[in-house]
Amino acid sequence: MADITQLLQSLITGVGVGLIYGLVGIGFCVIYNASGIVNFAQGVFVMLGGMICHALLTRLGLPLVLAAVLAVPIVAGIGMLIETLVVRPMWNRGATMFAIILATLATQIMIERITILTLGDQPRSFPEFTPGGPLKLGDIAVGYQLFWILGCGALMVGLLWLFFTRTRTGRALRACSQNREAAALLGIPVGRMLLVSFALSAALGAVAGILVTPTQVTAFNIGTPFGVNGFIAAIIGGFGSAAGALAGGVLLGVLQAAAIVLFGAGFKNVAALSTLLVVLLLFPSGIFAGFKGFKRA
Amino acid sequence: MTGVAPANAPAVGTVRTPGVTTAESPLLEVTDISAFYGRVHALKPTSLHIGRGELVTVLGPNGAGKSTLLRAITRLTPASGRIAFEGRDVSGLPTHRLAELGVIMVQEGRGLFGQMSVRENLILGAYTRPGGDMDKQLGRVFELFPRLKERIDQISASLSGGEQQMLAIGRALMAEPKLLMLDEPSLGLAPRVASEILATLGELNRQGLGILLVEQKAPLALKLAKRVYVLSLGQIAAELPASEIRSHHDLARYYLH
Repeated sequence: MADITQLLQSLITGVGVGLIYGLVGIGFCVIYNASGIVNFAQGVFVMLGGMICHALLTRLGLPLVLAAVLAVPIVAGIGMLIETLVVRPMWNRGATMFAIILATLATQIMIERITILTLGDQPRSFPEFTPGGPLKLGDIAVGYQLFWILGCGALMVGLLWLFFTRTRTGRALRACSQNREAAALLGIPVGRMLLVSFALSAALGAVAGILVTPTQVTAFNIGTPFGVNGFIAAIIGGFGSAAGALAGGVLLGVLQAAAIVLFGAGFKNVAALSTLLVVLLLFPSGIFAGFKGFKRA
Repeated sequence: MTGVAPANAPAVGTVRTPGVTTAESPLLEVTDISAFYGRVHALKPTSLHIGRGELVTVLGPNGAGKSTLLRAITRLTPASGRIAFEGRDVSGLPTHRLAELGVIMVQEGRGLFGQMSVRENLILGAYTRPGGDMDKQLGRVFELFPRLKERIDQISASLSGGEQQMLAIGRALMAEPKLLMLDEPSLGLAPRVASEILATLGELNRQGLGILLVEQKAPLALKLAKRVYVLSLGQIAAELPASEIRSHHDLARYYLH
């Protein structure tokens, strides 16, 4: 049985990874709210964030800050390309949501293959943003990168909040999430909002990928686990709620960390999927929507 | 209410040349518009027009195709046929482009953004007027509907039915429309509230705003309207001056009582 120090150490790491899940979960929500589409290519934005930042660092020799700052708009651009080349044509032809969602899944596989061909299949990483560390709190060690994740995560959430409540485009996106027809009747170009949502969502994924890469490795295939866990985070929070997705992500990260310490590394995914099943069974609208128990509608 | 189109002489009965902008062009001219829901021909080829500054009512029982007509005009529902606005062919334009031109519709059920405040709903109403004087626009709406000012920071879903309808109309006015189309605005409202809202619509019309009012049963709406279209089984069964509806025994019995 693990001792308490080991458990606390893992929980702190879990919070960091959970925030990353939360950012991916928010990415799911942004697109879903604007269009009703669940973009299963969400995980590749995390992968691309890390991979492109690494490529800018090593191949172009850019400083880390510049590489990180440049990688975000590049991934946002790729998100816009996915919207324009894959989602928009299907959306305009009135394809079923099921078909569009499958197409995003196919896009993920395609981008992973392109990544192998262009950047290679070897895992890679880059240094933490602040060298040195970790910070010792008694027997617990906290890496500096965790503070970057916490800080940037908070900054992203703050900026998103300002964007959605204070800007014309942000308000229009929220309007689309609540009533797309009414939004169009007021002159809001619902189609363009879909493009904005893909850009925003891809940028969020890229930030998550850049933040998390120094704490582990990135490779062409990390998109799926981050995508799945981000998706679970969004469901825990009640699909569509950004704050819920963030909290859901942290909860998921902490539960996974606890499961690894208490039962072994093989239980990481068991913990995630069990959490998903329990939430779907007891809180079908997310844990913040209230306990539904076994009541039937 | 300023900011709406100036009152021009109603163009009823004037000769119109499609596709040519002239002073006589009606505000809206719909020619042979037709829409399907799956295999159901919900709206058979239908033509109507609204003059500048005119208030026209479309009456019809449930399922007659009234909402489909408005949805077809605003392109929420795919439809064939020609639509001209201020003499310009706008048949191919999507919903949001029509709104930019000044065609604003208040949906049945009001179509509010329920989780947003009254203020945010109103601000979104002015989406097509970026850079406009927001406070001035809000002031105009509050003059018409003072209750909205009292509820400014309230979530719109928590408003009463009447207040929600006021917000829906107020939000539409924030766009400074040239043509306001309303789908059953009095539905589900207490008679006193409904007449208050219709009186406001009458006032807006006197100030020059073109209005297309769709109602199921509407003695009040008929008092405001100059002309009436009666829709039945997806097509226009009659077009007549509102004042004449009393002389048609069947129509008067159905729509006035």
